[in-house]
Order: sequence, then C-alpha cells, then structure tokens
Amino acid sequence: MTITTTARLSAAGAAAIAAALLAAHPVHAAVHHAALVIQHTSGSLITRCVAFAEEQINGLQLVQRSGVEYEAQSFGSIGSAMCQLDQEPLTVPPGCFGSGPYWQYFHRQGSDWQASVVGASSSVLHDGDIDGWRYAAGANQAPGSISFAAVCGAPPPPIAATRAPSATGSIRPAPVQAVPLPPATPTPATSLEAFAPSAAPSRNAVLASTGPNQPPRAAAIVPWLALGGTAILLLTLGAINLRRRGP
Amino acid sequence: MTRHPLAWCAWATAALAAALIDRNPYLQGLLLLVVINVFLPYRGPRRLTSWKFGLALAVVPVIFSAALSRFGRHLLFTLPPIPIIGGRWTLDAVAFGASTGLALLLTVAVFGVLHTTVRSADLVAILPRPLYRAGTTVALALAFAPKTVASFHSIRQSRHLRGQRASWRSAPELLLPLLLTTLEHALQYGESLDARGFGSGRRSRYRPSRWTVPDLLVVIASLAAIGAMAVFPAAPYNAYLNLAPTVPRPGSLLGIALLAVPAVTASLSRMDHARHHA
Repeated sequence: MTITTTARLSAAGAAAIAAALLAAHPVHAAVHHAALVIQHTSGSLITRCVAFAEEQINGLQLVQRSGVEYEAQSFGSIGSAMCQLDQEPLTVPPGCFGSGPYWQYFHRQGSDWQASVVGASSSVLHDGDIDGWRYAAGANQAPGSISFAAVCGAPPPPIAATRAPSATGSIRPAPVQAVPLPPATPTPATSLEAFAPSAAPSRNAVLASTGPNQPPRAAAIVPWLALGGTAILLLTLGAINLRRRGP
Repeated sequence: MTRHPLAWCAWATAALAAALIDRNPYLQGLLLLVVINVFLPYRGPRRLTSWKFGLALAVVPVIFSAALSRFGRHLLFTLPPIPIIGGRWTLDAVAFGASTGLALLLTVAVFGVLHTTVRSADLVAILPRPLYRAGTTVALALAFAPKTVASFHSIRQSRHLRGQRASWRSAPELLLPLLLTTLEHALQYGESLDARGFGSGRRSRYRPSRWTVPDLLVVIASLAAIGAMAVFPAAPYNAYLNLAPTVPRPGSLLGIALLAVPAVTASLSRMDHARHHA
C-alpha cells in the first residue's frame, strides 16, 4: 500500500465523519408516549398519556409533563421521592414520607408492577413504558392492573401513512382536547413540546411543531452510520498496522 | 517514528479522560480499538504484559458485580439462599461490572502505551526546573518496584535450587535477603546519581527531543478530542436504569476518532520509511 492510498483512505474517513456531522442537523425526532397511573387511597385512579420527543425521559419528567400537581424531594443519586401527588396528602409530611401511607413507585413489567429500585428522577422511561404511583401504607402496594393501550390508546399506524398533507407539522391527530396548532413558519423548530393530556383513557397527547415534518428514521440512522463508519475506519487502520512488524 | 514525550502526554491525558468519563459501551469499544491501533506500531514481543494485567483486572468488577448485586430487571438465574452469593443474578449487574471493567482495562492500556512509547528519562527531562529533582525521585521510586519484584523472584528461585520449599514459615528467610538486596540497589542508585552530578544543575541532553509536524498534529488532535468531549458529552450509561446503551452522537464519536491520530501518523511515517528504502 502506498502513501497515496493511505492518504486517500484517511481523506475518505475524514469526509465520512464530516458528512455524518453535517447530516446531524436538528430534525424532528420520533414521537414517543409513556403512561402514568396514579392511585389514591380512596382507590380512584388517574391516568395520563404523555408524549415526548426525546429517546427517553425520567419518571419525574413524566409527572411534570402530565400536569399533575406534585411535591418531590431529592435524595441524591437515588433519585427523587414523591411527597405529595395530586393534593394527596393535603400537607407534605415532615421528611417527605411521614409515618403513615406514602407514595410508592412502580414500573410496569409485562403484566405485573415491579417496585422501582430508584427514585423518580433516576428512572428511565422509553416509548410504551408505564409508571405507577400508589398512596398506601406497607411495602409493595402496587396500583391496579392497567395496560398501556388503556391509557394511551392503541399503537398508531406508521407515521408515513397518517401524516397530514398540510404544513402544520402535526404528527398525530388528537381526537380529544386537541390544542390548536400554530401556522407553519419558515424557521424550523428545534424541539417538540408535549402538552398535558386529560384523564380520559384515550391517546390524548398532542405534539405541536412548526418545522418541516421529516421521517424520524432518517434522523435515527445517522448516529448508527457514523458509529459503523468510525468502527470500519479503525478496523482498517488496525489491519494496516497489524500487517507491519513492530519496531 | 518516535513522538515527542509531550505529544504522548497530551494523547494519554485525552485518552484517559475519555476512558474515565465515557461509560457508553459503544464509545468504550471504539476507544479500545483506538488504543489497540496506537499500540500496534510500537508492539514488541514482550510488550503485552500490561494488556494481560488489564484483562485480568477487567474481569474482577464483572465477578464482584454479578455475585454481590441483587438489583436489575433482566434475570439470569436464581441461586438458593447461600450467604453473600445467594439470590437473583442479573444481566444488568454483569453489564454494569463489564462497563467498569472496560474502563479499568482502557486505563491500564493507555498507561501501557505510554510506558511502551516514552522512556521515563525523557519524561523527567521535560519537567520544569523546580520539579526536576522531585520528578527524578518519583521516577527512581517507580523503577524500584519492578526491581524489587525481580529480586524477590531471583531469591525464591535460588532457594528452590537449593531444595528449600517456599511457605509462610520461610517468609523471614525471603524478606531479609530482599531487604538487603533493596538497600544495596538503593546505594548503587545513589552512587550512580552522584557520579552523574545529580543536583549540580540541569542535565544537558545528548539527543534533544525535537518537535515535528506529526507531533503537533497529535497534540492538536488530543486537545480537539478533549474539546469534543466537553462540547458533545456522551449520554451517561447505567445498566441498571437502561440495559441497552444509547447510540452516541457523531460529535462524541469525533472525540474518540481524533485519538487515533498517533496511529495514522505512525502508519504514514512507516510508509514513507518503506518507500525511502525501496
């Protein structure tokens, strides 16, 4: 292999990395949904479906974005404990937990609830996850059984098939309590906002954006391409160096 | 193909920062590829010791994490209630230990590359004047450790040759000659330093290190890598929270890829050398 070949190889590598960086301009990411289930002492159940643009959010962000009133206390790296949720208890007990019932935190795993090993701000939720809170005394008092579809509705058809031809950028139509979408503007938005949905067991989270509506898969494949390209370049360089003897 | 010691120090600083900050398995894997690439041009028949040590060290956190941690959602198997190791063994704990182990392996590997490519005397020579004596003392103290281990092995070997078995009862018989040998080495070091005029002034260099274009490239790339790590921080990885790591952003990848510049320059200079001889 001559120096020219290696120089070309290096230039190609640099161009690939530069292209990957340039391609990573802000585009609208995929829209995800997570469900929130809150069960009071009285047994009343509150459900919320929250939409988010990020790949993942934490449990505290889910509560924040659901619009439910809450009071949390941070416990460092363990995460935040919920002291008050939806006005229960009426006053925040001393030390957050008090001596009686307290807000217990669960994640839905298949058809069961599993007690969270971390606090709300340290848990991670992805698309389709369900978080459950129950105000009760004694350990492992999980909320009632509920499915994601019961909170957020059935999974939507592919975005490409449902995308509206208008330029408003609404990715998913909201059947109930739809927030009026702003008119299209030439400036692309860099973030998506999730609006607080109602307690109705329907997919009632609306995302509004003003930018051009692009397929999310194109944005998702760029990091993978960059990762694969970098790995291939390094493996090629390793093969070149391996073929030559050491000093 | 030798690089300036400061260029290697800049590279090692950036590589160590990446090894200790980035816990994303994808980035760790790429960084391992980078360190292997940088090591390959300087490899020799007896230069794999640090890699073997690093691999052995990397296994320890995996075992400890898997055996002692009971957290995690992905169950591997459940052991009967045996003290300490009984209960749920989870994939999350194994992944968490592997991530920590990989960080340890990378740290050892970076120091291994530094040890292979830079002589301690060259490092001491580039120290600022106030730190020269302290640096020499530290370098000598570090050089003493392998010397002491070698002395221990030779004493034990000579005892074996005399038919004396090694046991804990024979520890004083091993330690006393080891202490005497070490003291003897220390005196020899002192005499050699005295003979070389240590403390009388800064030593001159017979062959001073010169900066070359590849050296500057390595320094610039290392600084740029640190900048990229600061501007595009990788998403933190915690196997207990989310077993599947997120794909790193291209900016984070660039930070890691820039650390491969020493391997690229070494490869190019070898080709130049080969063409010159052809």
